[in-house]
Amino acid sequence: MSQTITIDPVTRLEGHGKITIQLNGQGEVDSAHFHVTQVRGFERFSEGRPFYEMPSLMARVCGICPVSHLLASAKACEAIMSVRIPHTAAQLRRVLNLAQMVQSHALSFFYLSSPDLLLGMEADPKVRHILGVAAAKPELGLAGVGLRRFGQSIIELLGSKRIHPGWVVPGGVTEPLSAGKRDKILSMLPEAYAGIQLALDAYKKIADNFRPEIEVFANFPSNYLGLINEEDESIAFTDGALRLVDAKGAIIEDGITASRFTEVIGEAVEPYSYTKFAYYKPLGYPGGCYRVGPLARLNIVKRMGAPKAEKEFVEFKQLAAGPVESSFHYHHARLIEILFGLEKIEEILADPKILDTHVRATAGVNRLEGAGQAEAPRGVLHHHYKVDDDGKMVWSNLVIATGQNNHAMDSGVLQAARHYVKDGKFTDGMLNRIEAVVRTFDPCLSCSTHALGQMPLAVSLVSADGEVLDRVAR
Amino acid sequence: MKQQEDTLNPDSAAPMRLEKARCLILACGNTLRSDDGLGPHLAAWAEERFRDEPCVTIISRQQWTPELAADVAAADAVLFVDCSIETKPGSVHLLPVLPRSSSPATATHHLDAPGLLALAHALYGARPAHAMLLAVGAGSIELGETLSDPVASALPRARGVLEKAVRRFLGN
Repeated sequence: MSQTITIDPVTRLEGHGKITIQLNGQGEVDSAHFHVTQVRGFERFSEGRPFYEMPSLMARVCGICPVSHLLASAKACEAIMSVRIPHTAAQLRRVLNLAQMVQSHALSFFYLSSPDLLLGMEADPKVRHILGVAAAKPELGLAGVGLRRFGQSIIELLGSKRIHPGWVVPGGVTEPLSAGKRDKILSMLPEAYAGIQLALDAYKKIADNFRPEIEVFANFPSNYLGLINEEDESIAFTDGALRLVDAKGAIIEDGITASRFTEVIGEAVEPYSYTKFAYYKPLGYPGGCYRVGPLARLNIVKRMGAPKAEKEFVEFKQLAAGPVESSFHYHHARLIEILFGLEKIEEILADPKILDTHVRATAGVNRLEGAGQAEAPRGVLHHHYKVDDDGKMVWSNLVIATGQNNHAMDSGVLQAARHYVKDGKFTDGMLNRIEAVVRTFDPCLSCSTHALGQMPLAVSLVSADGEVLDRVAR
Repeated sequence: MKQQEDTLNPDSAAPMRLEKARCLILACGNTLRSDDGLGPHLAAWAEERFRDEPCVTIISRQQWTPELAADVAAADAVLFVDCSIETKPGSVHLLPVLPRSSSPATATHHLDAPGLLALAHALYGARPAHAMLLAVGAGSIELGETLSDPVASALPRARGVLEKAVRRFLGN
């Protein structure tokens, strides 16, 4: 008789989902799936709205990475308008996107994953949370809170709101940066640098303790996709073009602009999840599936483009001869990206032109179709719109980072389940490890389904004849 | 009254260090979820009421997140304001809050009032001398931008309890 394990809900994620582990008659793991159980449909209710409303509408997809949606949406609108935004507006948007990346990565690492990393996978669930971290390692708790406040403060300074700022509009941004706000941001940097350095040092000291987890946490060859600066092949978050590399790090395709995205990327549907499964069309599904996000970004670029982050990047690349494969290393990559974000924000704000007051271009509908892309903290985000002659939305499609990592998360859950589930049974520590595989990707299930409401995660253990033998819900 | 945005005043010399607030009003709720909007509603009222009180800081959020521990740690007194789904609709309660380091909310990135107090103490070694929760029983938290009749009727009393608590914190 086969069995199924369901983890329902998976905790410490952005949104809710569940994991089902199917056992065969011998009590061995036969298959495992990560399900996203909510549906929302932002694409549908945008129909008929004026295209220039789209950035503020689409930002509501997510409370963690609204800035990425703002940017991808604004860029899609600018393709419809056929405008190039002023240089200063582009630089200010980069600062905003980097600030969001810093606060989101801080949330993922310090609030959601550091309880596992600092207190242990087997730690009592009653203390395995941010309060437990604060009690055991208050200096790291302070660093996490400080970095999150840093990113949120910049978003609030620029956009007047911590969540869903309305400052980014088609054509640029609504207001220039004042010298006072610039100086305020610069004055926050020393504390932020100290916080991330503390976290990087602490992580590198403990990473070796997790060798068994590194071996089975979605540790397999895959393709990787992300934005790069085409000029120097360095990491990019807001501009640039996409690069896809294979499992050995060889470039499969370069220069994938937003307008070409749907030529090469398709979306498959599976019956067990509302999240779609993105893949590279020439390689088909699932062979063309790939990973996105911090690990993918560090696997596709040649350099970081900022000195402190570059030093950490060189050390990171020592983890493997080619691409770094284990998704456990998403944590490390996330910290390096925070450091990069701080350096790049400092560099951009050091340019006096950042105070230029020409920050918005205007135009009407010059094309009936447009696409935009940016890196969200979790990976590539793509918005694609079609409008009528009056600029009213007639169609839209959003391809979200979590959907692009979906196949890898599924495969990672299967790999971990096969390792940890023995004789049809699992302990809390094993269960937590299977959840932790999903957490390495920092999926945003609200984004991936454009979903509504709370989303807890559950794990179910199901027999071969469909009987639920065990179920854990939180 | 000092709004939360003042902590980001570009003219301030110490951006990441918060000024000492004698009284922090920390509201929670979603105005698109009927009575769950009570916290933001009372926070907006308090902003007007305490406009001339520099010692009162007001923060309203949809969720209480861990980084608010810094604001809590910087206050002499904290009044948490939220609706309650566990008490009779329209009932008004003013309750003491004690720190608690384990709560159902800690599995994600938001905290309840006891969790915030515990985090403020763990990270900053600070604990406000007074911490109270003003809770009003919710009649509905379904989608909607208006308060239910019981909660709308309870608003005058809730405002009175809020003001009395703040005045007491301030020693007025």
